[in-house]
Amino acid sequence: MTPRILRRSLLATSVLLAILPGLSHARCDNLSNTKPGPINIIGNTFPALDHIAKEMESCTRGGLKVQYKLVPSPQNETETLQAFGSSGKSAFDAAVVSMETFTKLQSAGQVQSMTDLVTKYKAKYKIEDNMLVKVNGEVMAIAFMQNAQNLFYRKDLFDKHGIKVPATYADMMAAAKTLKEKEPGIEFPIAQTFAKGWDSATEFSNIFAGYGGRFFKAGSAAPDFNSEAGVKALETMKAMTAYMTPNYLASGSDDVMNQYQQGKAAMGVLWASRASRMDDPTASKIVGKMEFTAAPAVMAGGKSATHLWWDGVVMPKNLAGDRDTVFQVLMEALDEETTAKGNDLTIWVRSSYKPTRFGNGVAASAKAGAPQWPSEPYFGLAHGEIGKIIPDVMTGAMTPKVALDAAAAAYTKAAAEKGFLK
Amino acid sequence: MLLLLALPLALTFYLSVRSCALQMEVVTVTESSPFGTKEVVTQRAVLGPDGRALSVCRFVGLEYFRKVLGLDADVAIQAGSSAPPDAGGSPAAASPQRSTEFIGALRFTLLYTFATTPFVLLLGFALALGVNQVGQRWRPMYISASLLPFIITPVVGALAIKWLFRDNGLMPYFLSQFGISLFWMAQAWSARLLIIFYGIWHVVPFAFIVFYAGLQSVPQDSLEAARIDGANAWQRLHYVTLPHLAPLFVFVTLIHLMDAYRVFEPVVVLTQGAFTTSVQYLTYYILLQENNPYKASAAAVLTTAGIAVLLVPLLMRTWKEQRRGG
Repeated sequence: MTPRILRRSLLATSVLLAILPGLSHARCDNLSNTKPGPINIIGNTFPALDHIAKEMESCTRGGLKVQYKLVPSPQNETETLQAFGSSGKSAFDAAVVSMETFTKLQSAGQVQSMTDLVTKYKAKYKIEDNMLVKVNGEVMAIAFMQNAQNLFYRKDLFDKHGIKVPATYADMMAAAKTLKEKEPGIEFPIAQTFAKGWDSATEFSNIFAGYGGRFFKAGSAAPDFNSEAGVKALETMKAMTAYMTPNYLASGSDDVMNQYQQGKAAMGVLWASRASRMDDPTASKIVGKMEFTAAPAVMAGGKSATHLWWDGVVMPKNLAGDRDTVFQVLMEALDEETTAKGNDLTIWVRSSYKPTRFGNGVAASAKAGAPQWPSEPYFGLAHGEIGKIIPDVMTGAMTPKVALDAAAAAYTKAAAEKGFLK
Repeated sequence: MLLLLALPLALTFYLSVRSCALQMEVVTVTESSPFGTKEVVTQRAVLGPDGRALSVCRFVGLEYFRKVLGLDADVAIQAGSSAPPDAGGSPAAASPQRSTEFIGALRFTLLYTFATTPFVLLLGFALALGVNQVGQRWRPMYISASLLPFIITPVVGALAIKWLFRDNGLMPYFLSQFGISLFWMAQAWSARLLIIFYGIWHVVPFAFIVFYAGLQSVPQDSLEAARIDGANAWQRLHYVTLPHLAPLFVFVTLIHLMDAYRVFEPVVVLTQGAFTTSVQYLTYYILLQENNPYKASAAAVLTTAGIAVLLVPLLMRTWKEQRRGG
């Protein structure tokens, strides 16, 4: 068979497989007491969420019409905040959010408690305790997947040159030095998301946390990232740029993924949700060669320098529709069947998820003590200001301390404008 | 009509002199997630009797304008009497960098605007002349091919350019065949050049189609007469065609100035603002990162003021022409 015919028959088989279960048991077959009408849900778009969106929209029984609005990040957050924060009814009956967005909604008191609904439907939808995101005991969100940036490394090249899997960033740079010298095709061994703004600020946050840095003074929103740990984090980042493509200031997740797939870069810390794409034969030249493990620590024996994230569903306080119906639709789409069907798309929270090697990195990072992404509602402001100054430090236009002081001063203003600092 | 046009502007201005913030309180809460349970000190909105967050609005005058322009000397707004005891390091060292943010964005926006305009006019006109020479049969094909960059969604077009120029892209590979190794997003000049190149590529078709339409209306008898009088091709272009198309040149310049001043997509897609921030991008960034529509409004008003200044000479010319014509 030629590859094209093979691909077609594979496609036909998978379509058939997708339809077959539908013949015996349809989604939303036994909802109770639903109110017919449209249900609007908003969320980001990437493979795992697209899968869930499809599951949600297949819920067409009892006069229900579910629409999932796929909006790329970060615009989805803007739209969600606007809808949940509007003085009238929310345009969306539910939202799929990252924990960063959840933090903002929660602090503004805009998500509603789902505790009673969870109690009511716990058995029916096998809602697991691990999925519940609680604040002071009230269920405010239901998490379904996790994500983290973890180490990607080319096992074949590491084995070839007898390099150990890096446990620290210093190890990683040493490994990069070896590869740069000895492996002809690898001129820029490290690739990470150092693009100006959100990407590089997130890298900073990971490494900064690895140095034990605290973003804020204890119990207040006053900045504390312009500290010794902050300077060290920026110095580490600058040292890494010696092993990266000179285009690093424009390297977002897509670009980094591309550098790995093309075999031009051999290691780096990247989102676990990108791991399975390393083995996509249509886009990758390195199928089966990339391995995944915990993000390195920055200090020997330190915690894995990354953060753990979850994605989940929330319902607005200013909900327009029937909350019981909306909740059932959400739970239908987050059941075990969805996890099973999309098992390899991401790292699911449900215990029925069968871990693949693409999820190794997140599990290893968690085991190596990686903390959860900061949940202070003012963290986003600090993160935004840090993202602005990183290019100036990387290009040497500013020293780390001066740049961090500038970011701290700008953050202080922004936080005062938003009422976090008096 | 005037009301319809002015209302959004007035509203934006109204927003820019106000500031609303939720009334926050410091709380200690227990948070549980798939990653475990912990106690955190955080802030949350004070809820009113109806369960809604209480928000406090006040008039701030031109404070946000000063901030966007970097003219505010003091570090924090002193909402209450108690300023933060630890405003974060040495603010004195910080102010020079902050103050240049809007100016830097404005500088690149103007560079982009003025660098692209002549190319857009020249190339657009050349293309129109070229297509005008092509036989009737092939014209539709040429026209559709030329219009393609303008039809493509800007984000997609910018992505296409990025993919051409990023690591392992076609252009770096092509150049490396001649021993030239260039990283386009690594230095200010090349990153800026790339965005300017995108701008020209994207807008030339617009100029082309306008000029091409104009060329169809050049009076054939005047051209005929010129030819009989012995004018060569260059003279016919110079004395007949160009004067006829002059208003179109003004029109294209006007539209492109307004368009270029709003440059946004290539900045987001190609460089994410590294070396190249535009005024529009800055407004977006304030809205997105700081989630502060009031400050973003101030940036938007300043942006609008900028375009007004930019367009004054052209608008005055058009005004005079209209009066003369009428």
